[in-house]
Amino acid sequence: MEILSIKNLSFTYPMLNTRALDSVTMTVEQGDFVVLCGQSGSGKTTLLKMFKREITPNGKCSGEVFFKGEPIKDIDDRTSAKKIGFVFQKPEQQIVTDKVWHELAFGLESLGYDSKYIRLRVGEMANYFGISSLFHRKTENLSGGQKQLLNLASVMAMSPDVLILDEPTSQLDPISAGDFIATLKRLNTELGLTIILTEHRLQDVFPIADKVAVLDNGKLIAYGKPREICRELKKHPVSAGFPSAVQIYNSTDISTDCPLTVREGRDFINNNFSKRKIEIRDTVPKTEIAVELKDAFFRYEKEGQDILAGTRLKVYKGEHFSILGGNGSGKTTTLKILSGILKPYRGSVFINGQKMNRKPLTEYSRMGIAMLPQNPETVFIKPKIIEDYIELCKIKGVENRDKKIAEITESLGIKGLMDKHPYDLSGGEVQRCALGKILLANPSIILLDEPTKGIDAYGKISLAKMLNKIKSQGRTIITVTHDVEFSAIVSDRCALFFDGDVLSNSVPQEFFSTNNFYTTSVSRICRDRFINAVTVDDAVSLIKEGGQYENKNN
Amino acid sequence: MENRKISGFNTLHPAVLFTYFVSVVIVAMFCTNPVMLFLALIGGVSFFGVMKGAKLFFQDLCFYILMAVFIAIINPLFSHNGVTPLFFMNGNPVTLEAILYGVDIALMLVGVIYWCKCYSEVMTTDKFLFLFGKAVPKLSLVLSAALRFIPLFRRKLKEIRSVQSSLGLYEKKGMINRVTAELKVFSSLITWSLENSVDTGASMKARGYGLKGRTHFSVFTFRKRDLGYLICIIVLVGIVILGMSMGISDFKFYPEISEFNFGLKQIAVYISFGILSFIPFLSELWEVIMWKYSASKI
Repeated sequence: MEILSIKNLSFTYPMLNTRALDSVTMTVEQGDFVVLCGQSGSGKTTLLKMFKREITPNGKCSGEVFFKGEPIKDIDDRTSAKKIGFVFQKPEQQIVTDKVWHELAFGLESLGYDSKYIRLRVGEMANYFGISSLFHRKTENLSGGQKQLLNLASVMAMSPDVLILDEPTSQLDPISAGDFIATLKRLNTELGLTIILTEHRLQDVFPIADKVAVLDNGKLIAYGKPREICRELKKHPVSAGFPSAVQIYNSTDISTDCPLTVREGRDFINNNFSKRKIEIRDTVPKTEIAVELKDAFFRYEKEGQDILAGTRLKVYKGEHFSILGGNGSGKTTTLKILSGILKPYRGSVFINGQKMNRKPLTEYSRMGIAMLPQNPETVFIKPKIIEDYIELCKIKGVENRDKKIAEITESLGIKGLMDKHPYDLSGGEVQRCALGKILLANPSIILLDEPTKGIDAYGKISLAKMLNKIKSQGRTIITVTHDVEFSAIVSDRCALFFDGDVLSNSVPQEFFSTNNFYTTSVSRICRDRFINAVTVDDAVSLIKEGGQYENKNN
Repeated sequence: MENRKISGFNTLHPAVLFTYFVSVVIVAMFCTNPVMLFLALIGGVSFFGVMKGAKLFFQDLCFYILMAVFIAIINPLFSHNGVTPLFFMNGNPVTLEAILYGVDIALMLVGVIYWCKCYSEVMTTDKFLFLFGKAVPKLSLVLSAALRFIPLFRRKLKEIRSVQSSLGLYEKKGMINRVTAELKVFSSLITWSLENSVDTGASMKARGYGLKGRTHFSVFTFRKRDLGYLICIIVLVGIVILGMSMGISDFKFYPEISEFNFGLKQIAVYISFGILSFIPFLSELWEVIMWKYSASKI
């Protein structure tokens, strides 16, 4: 039975000439798990909002949307609010009330149920989603993953027939994101709930999706089973976000079934290829040390735990060093120590060979340290990007201001964004602008805190390119991230931060191929055959290099 | 406040708690009888003590003892009523009555402060909202949303400040530079919160906010035990107020200190108020004993 359908829908935002959606026609069957993908700006979010009348944007609209065969504009308010659930991207912003129990009850209160009924529903939700222990807590004290789970639960409390989610995991760390997607799968298989989702992490959702829809410039260019889509859109830019197994498969011309999961990918490699090896090359010249931590200790409270406990770290000039680690392991704290925002209570910090312990914050930036924070929009405090740039030039006394700004905006491809407000930009764009602002002071050491948060696959590729460019200008980059795939692509060396110390550090190929769990999906897929391959490029180069592949069966 | 100690009195229904606090505080504020003020003070202090534990309790107590002494000294310096001058200062008499009245006021103030402290410990915002939300449902939601928003705002302010200081915003010294820098940060914070509220609004709308017939859910239920407490409180406070209005517990300091009367009527009022002030403490104590007893069975 079809539950949602769109007939020939076009939509144009006011004051714009281009269509955000262009003659989209699609049907969603009851119980389907549909993944909607496309590059940023392709109209994904606009399409999702068309399904939920309360938040449909203003603009010129033609065509129709049907819910269970009835035009969506004709169904009554209660049904629309109750039966179509919507979860937004940012976990923090969609929480309305201060207590978890109140948040869970919010939708049911709106629908006018009595306390007895609400009590039962709320209890049911808290149990199903495993958040009973949080029931009396304040919402502000939850972690990002818990917040998003709460948002999901409070929508589910209204018992919707369709659940629509707009990039729900983009702000979460990989572990919480995985949990969240597993919960969605459970809702789909256990309750038969229809789910429509946009998502960056196609790796996690393709294997569980029934259908994939791909949008490109407002047009629906493909809609079908994941495996078919993967083959169909081999060359399309959106394929950058496909699961690693698919990307490896697409680089060959083998015509067996397209693998989606790590397991299928591994079978595919094992069946088709012989043993090959990537030579590990350590290209970093270990001559000059840019940043060094010597047995640094740090804690936030007098009687608290040591976040940094005897941390030792050496980063060489001109390398890109990645620090990986779980939530709350102290990665960001390390970065704050290096940037001078925090000071260790024991041990020392050296920058370019100078001991920095007692130096003020200004001295750190004079030594060439600059930090890109986790939320890049906090870099901007003016209504236009360009005004912020000019302000920084004044503060730092940058000479040849206009020329410098022109140079940087040119090389980062952000010339057209200069007159915009930071909140009008997409995640990737804000980040590029923020990076630009930081580069104005001409830093020699750049610290990045979770640079891939909220950025799609295509954005990650262009970010990686940009970072390589910045590095090639002789700068040192230190990245702190959860994102193993990204760090495998960009880093010269990787390290794991755990229990207050930097554990192992080595080139990504070595680092990830020795790790069994904390590693990239390519490494998991290829480890039997392609020794030391950790990125798609590694695997593809081995496939190309090997020339003929040997099929085991022959 | 996340891991509040669950106690006996705390778990009563908000309506009972509110009635209780209002009656005790009002009686304490409108009476001058030292016996009753003393009872109120000891009741409040002991309740606070059980709730917060010995360490915090003593830290606090020292401060309030000093305050009480201060008030007791201040009064005779300004008030020269009374018939028993003890000595003269700058030609003004310092009277025994004024000193004792100062002590009395100090008792009252410290007592009321302790009760207010207990009130803010026990009557958390969600309880308050529950009570008054029914009358003004919109207001209660606004308050709840505000309580959610304030910590968010504070955290963002801290974040922007830290980022901007590493970008050198606060580098220039001097008051004016400092203030303009703060203003810039603040204005960007306002933009952020507007942006934020758009998202929150969409999330509210998506969950049916604005539909007719919104109800008000709470996690509190009125049980038999609550009824018992409520009746107790009303009866006791009724006796006390009746006594006060009949002038039974009247006590005067000026011009001459009244004598203490311990007639039957007076004792009835004192005992009623004594029980009333010690209800929370006793119920906590009862809870501890009950728990010990039932734990010994487990």
